[in-house]
Amino acid sequence: MNIYVYVLRRILYVIPVLLGVCLIIFVLFNLVSPDPTLMLLGKHANLKQMQELRHELGLDRSYVVQYLDIVKSAFTFDFGRSWSTKQEIIEMIKNGAIPSLTVTFPAFLIALIISLVVSLFVAFYRGHFLDRAAVLVCVAMMSIPSLAYILFGQKILAYDLGFFEISGYEHGFPAFVPYVALPCIIWIVLSIGPDVRFYRTVILDEVYMDYVRTARAKGLNEKVILFKHILKNAMIPIITWVVIQIPFLILGALLLESFFGIPGLGGITLNAINSTDFPVVRAMTVLSAVAYIIFSVITDVLYTLVDPRVRLK
Amino acid sequence: MNEKLLEVKDLVVQFRTDRGKVTAVNGVNFELYRGQTLGIVGESGSGKSVTALSVMRLIPNPPGEIARGEIFFRGQNLLHLPLDEMRRIRGNKIAMIFQEPMTSLNPVFTVGNQIEEVFALHQQEYSKAERRNQGIELLKMVGIPSPERRYLEYPHQMSGGMRQRVMIAMSLACRPDILIADEPSTALDVTIQAQILELMKKLQSDLGMAIIMITHDLGVVAETCDQVAVMYCGQMVEKANIKTVFSRPRHPYTKGLLESIPSYDSTKNKEKGRLPTIEGMVPSLFDLPTGCSFQDRCNFVTEDCRGRKGMPQLENLALGHEVSCFNPIVV
Repeated sequence: MNIYVYVLRRILYVIPVLLGVCLIIFVLFNLVSPDPTLMLLGKHANLKQMQELRHELGLDRSYVVQYLDIVKSAFTFDFGRSWSTKQEIIEMIKNGAIPSLTVTFPAFLIALIISLVVSLFVAFYRGHFLDRAAVLVCVAMMSIPSLAYILFGQKILAYDLGFFEISGYEHGFPAFVPYVALPCIIWIVLSIGPDVRFYRTVILDEVYMDYVRTARAKGLNEKVILFKHILKNAMIPIITWVVIQIPFLILGALLLESFFGIPGLGGITLNAINSTDFPVVRAMTVLSAVAYIIFSVITDVLYTLVDPRVRLK
Repeated sequence: MNEKLLEVKDLVVQFRTDRGKVTAVNGVNFELYRGQTLGIVGESGSGKSVTALSVMRLIPNPPGEIARGEIFFRGQNLLHLPLDEMRRIRGNKIAMIFQEPMTSLNPVFTVGNQIEEVFALHQQEYSKAERRNQGIELLKMVGIPSPERRYLEYPHQMSGGMRQRVMIAMSLACRPDILIADEPSTALDVTIQAQILELMKKLQSDLGMAIIMITHDLGVVAETCDQVAVMYCGQMVEKANIKTVFSRPRHPYTKGLLESIPSYDSTKNKEKGRLPTIEGMVPSLFDLPTGCSFQDRCNFVTEDCRGRKGMPQLENLALGHEVSCFNPIVV
């Protein structure tokens, strides 16, 4: 099968998935959750006030119209206005995305490079003392809760030693660097443990395959075997693991942003949840669903570049 | 006599396991001459594959280790070679093909790419175009139809027999002196099996290489080999030319193996058409009986055999017929 046909088909699959996701979001927000007017007006609201507010918020329209509204927003990103700040939600998202990405994107990239290098190194010296030590360090790093890193970083590295700002944010490069450096480092430390363990397992799964023995029998040296033969096979699970993380980068790091006072998307979402700002929460839900779907399509397309067998399926 | 290519002397290979050290190959000796096909026969776990992998120095270490012995390839002791020189021999002078054609090729590279890799490694003077032409030539040589098209295909687009042909093509890329074939036809359909063996025989006579044919199938041995070595529990128990082994086996184990080949002619089988078997199981390498390791399954065992402490050693019973048995069958 032609690769373009495959990609096209994969993209067409997105439509029913997206419609389904919108339906779930609609059910969650309109049928499952409590009446937002009650929560906004408090318990002393009378029926007339409630009806007025429902009309104002467009909640008295038919379910079909409201559902189509969500579907439309998934394609146009026009999410309407926030109930509490009356701002255009898409503007809020645009403003929040940059601070979020300044933390998550460099952290993700650096963590990816470090973990890949470490896991290849560890896989090369499998069974060796270095391998065991690395696995031990990974488990230790995973066992320490993230709050411990945050408090240690803020108290010792930022407050006592003054390497970084404790919290806050400034727009524009390089002004934001001292603010995002510490949350970045903490993100990296948090992800290296599980990442290295995962990559190492994936690589070691390939090490004992028959084709590796064939490669040795040809006279290839271990480095070529690892970097050419094994790595390309291990790329399939690695790509899934990596690409599926990207939507979460856009959505920001909830915990880190709230601890470090970074006005990113994570913070916006938390505020919206606290103030019953349904449109914002819904916008973030739709956005994450769309991002997730897009990146899973990208993953599938990347597979075809790595694994020739995928195209036939 | 033809040039002596390979001489293995007193090879001992051990594996460390959770239950202690096991000796998978215990004092194996053999020689291989140009143009010759040596069959190494035995049940699973008899040490035949380990012997073959040792020649390539491909025993996974840890847990495996060549504990003792010498392997001379054209006079050069392979066990003393630095690893990078050993790599120059692998795939170049000594090549190997494996039992699992379905998984022995890397699924994410084209067949052509994997063949060219051998040229890039051992024939560096080849240009890109030459590598490609030679690669296609190899596919043609092993009888793959429309080789130009197949060259660009991935392993999953081919059948098991085709993949084994590709493996053979790859192993012959540098016209090796020795081809080690570890059960090359076991995983294939019978008709494909015959084709592959036929192909190997033809290529052997074209290229004048020596083959070590590792198999548990005496039918394969009968079709392809000149010399046979029968292995049991890490030792070679009988070694002779093919005619002698099939017509006058002198080790009870060899005799048992030959008798347990099914035959159309049931009158040959004594017990009302029932196929004779070798009673019992191969003993675990962890607790081999002291003395002869075949004694508990042997039909010819005597009190004297059981009483002997040391292992029987290979002895020349007739010219070129070596047997390791305390009580060899008289013919």
